[in-house]
Amino acid sequence: MSGAVGDAGRGATRPPAAARSTGAGFGRVLVTVYGVLAFAALGRSSYELVTKFAEAPVAYSLSALAAVVYVVATVALALGASPRWRKTAWGAVGVEAAGVLAVGSASLANRDVFGESTVWSLYGQGYGYVPLVLPFVGLWWLWHTRGPAAHGARGPHPSDGSEETTA
Amino acid sequence: MLLPLLILLVALCVALGGWAAWFVVKDRAVILNQLWGGAIVEGVLIAQAITAAIRSATGAPPSDPLLFWGYMATALVILPIAAAWAFAERTKWSSVVLLVAALTVAFLDYRLWQIWTGA
Repeated sequence: MSGAVGDAGRGATRPPAAARSTGAGFGRVLVTVYGVLAFAALGRSSYELVTKFAEAPVAYSLSALAAVVYVVATVALALGASPRWRKTAWGAVGVEAAGVLAVGSASLANRDVFGESTVWSLYGQGYGYVPLVLPFVGLWWLWHTRGPAAHGARGPHPSDGSEETTA
Repeated sequence: MLLPLLILLVALCVALGGWAAWFVVKDRAVILNQLWGGAIVEGVLIAQAITAAIRSATGAPPSDPLLFWGYMATALVILPIAAAWAFAERTKWSSVVLLVAALTVAFLDYRLWQIWTGA
């Protein structure tokens, strides 16, 4: 059906055709889990840096990097309504996905490769594999909430029945 | 830290989490009464912090004070932040946020106990 005109009035309550906020709806849960992980990684890293950095500089630097990435991802996803924060979120979540895969694989190949375990060791086993799952949920969510301008197609919205063509 | 307070806090977190989970099923957003529930949990956490501080000062410190107080600080800020973050969302997803926060606080408190006893 081509009810685009008729739906226009009702559409006022829907998100605009631009990219949707990454911090609303399901995104609010995503940001919450990111926030918890950011706190966990930040706490762990601060503790390591203060008490025993010299024991395993590489491992503890990696944990510090992970902590910073989680903090950036949390803030960027929470403020993801603007294009700049959305780009930042893509970057942070992308680095996170690459990091957990790279560090996870390296630690699997050789458990002592970094001297000590990190947040990303064994694909985040110490954190219930949340560090492994989260970046991919994050990437999916960023893709899901993208606007028509960015990719030439309107973001899918299951409950939005109107059919607009991408002019 | 006192064991009865740990048991009370975990029980309260599970109750609050269950209440939030029920709201998820019912497709409802967080209501003010649930935030009062969160405030009660926060009150027990503060009581835990005070008893831990008193016991530390009177010669029975945690096995790793820095780690313990780091966890305690995290546990104390989670619920206030999560409550504000959840309440700004008026869909069922706010209830999921409260559920995640309640379970996180329960887990952190369990970890606090482990660190306190040196387990």
